Amino acid sequence: MTALAVFLIVVGLFFLVVGSIGMMRLPDVFSRAHALSLTDSLGAVFVLAGLAVYEGFTLNFLRIIVVLLLVYLMNPAISHATLRAAYRSGLRPSAKEEK
Amino acid sequence: MKVFIAIALFALWLVLSASFNPAHVVLGAIVALIVAWINPIGTPYTRRFLWLRALGYAPWLFGRVVKSGLHVSRLILYPALPIKPELIQHKTKLRSEGELVVLGNSITLTPGTITVEVAPGELIVHAIDASAQQDLISGVLDEKVSRLFSAWEGDQ
Amino acid sequence: MSSFFVFVLVTLTMLMLVYLYRVIRGPSVFDRVLGLNGISTKAIVLLVLLGTMFERVDMFVDISTGYALLNLVGALAIAKFLEERGTSEK
Repeated sequence: MTALAVFLIVVGLFFLVVGSIGMMRLPDVFSRAHALSLTDSLGAVFVLAGLAVYEGFTLNFLRIIVVLLLVYLMNPAISHATLRAAYRSGLRPSAKEEK
Repeated sequence: MKVFIAIALFALWLVLSASFNPAHVVLGAIVALIVAWINPIGTPYTRRFLWLRALGYAPWLFGRVVKSGLHVSRLILYPALPIKPELIQHKTKLRSEGELVVLGNSITLTPGTITVEVAPGELIVHAIDASAQQDLISGVLDEKVSRLFSAWEGDQ
Repeated sequence: MSSFFVFVLVTLTMLMLVYLYRVIRGPSVFDRVLGLNGISTKAIVLLVLLGTMFERVDMFVDISTGYALLNLVGALAIAKFLEERGTSEK
């Protein structure tokens, strides 16, 4: 059980790290939101699932699952709202910038 | 239906409060009943959400999310950063609010595509490169989401 | 196991610093909002992780649930506000 938990947490950490790298590298707001959706919908979910498995199948398992579902369902709403605000205030995705 | 909502709320209360002394349990039951009784269930002109089918939809969506997540992380880690971001208009047959919410949420949840603007019958989606759009263009997602809801009610 | 948790904890904190850089530098207001959102997601994970380390998950899960809900309301309010006002910063 512990091995499964460690595996899930490591996979989640990988996605979190990749998301952060994307946050640094990608050129504009719209692309950066992709990096954010990567970290949120995969990284956080995998790490939380790993922690829940490590906790074992008790009541705390269910409570961590509730937090996981909250993160999983609400982050799309937040990034959509932010991007819609950006879109309506006139920002448009730029072409890839040459450095 | 209201009974179902009350039971679900009560279960959530039990999980979150995690204390089983009688006062808390009774208080939770009362609150769950009141909340379920006060809130109306949809308007006549909606399509009902079928919860059992959602249980099949969620794992499918999660598989898609993992697959496209790997794709997007390969794009990010690749030294040349081969992204080709663009806004696409996605025409859809779905009209009701519930369907649009589920569809938009699924699109945003999948790495590589993000819903930017929603209107009945039309979504503006930001896609990070061409292969991220495949699910949308082939209409698989629309199909799956549409099947989550019952037929139109109160249309007669 | 405990040293592994410390490793995860330190990594998460470093990642939060990366996002903090985006919040401070970010060219537009929306970059800052997105960065803050990323930080709060990591904070939620961090709280549950701390609870596992201290073996008090029952307490820390409540805190992280509250944090997630506050984050949702706050981010939606900011997005709504920026949408109404538009932005002078490009």
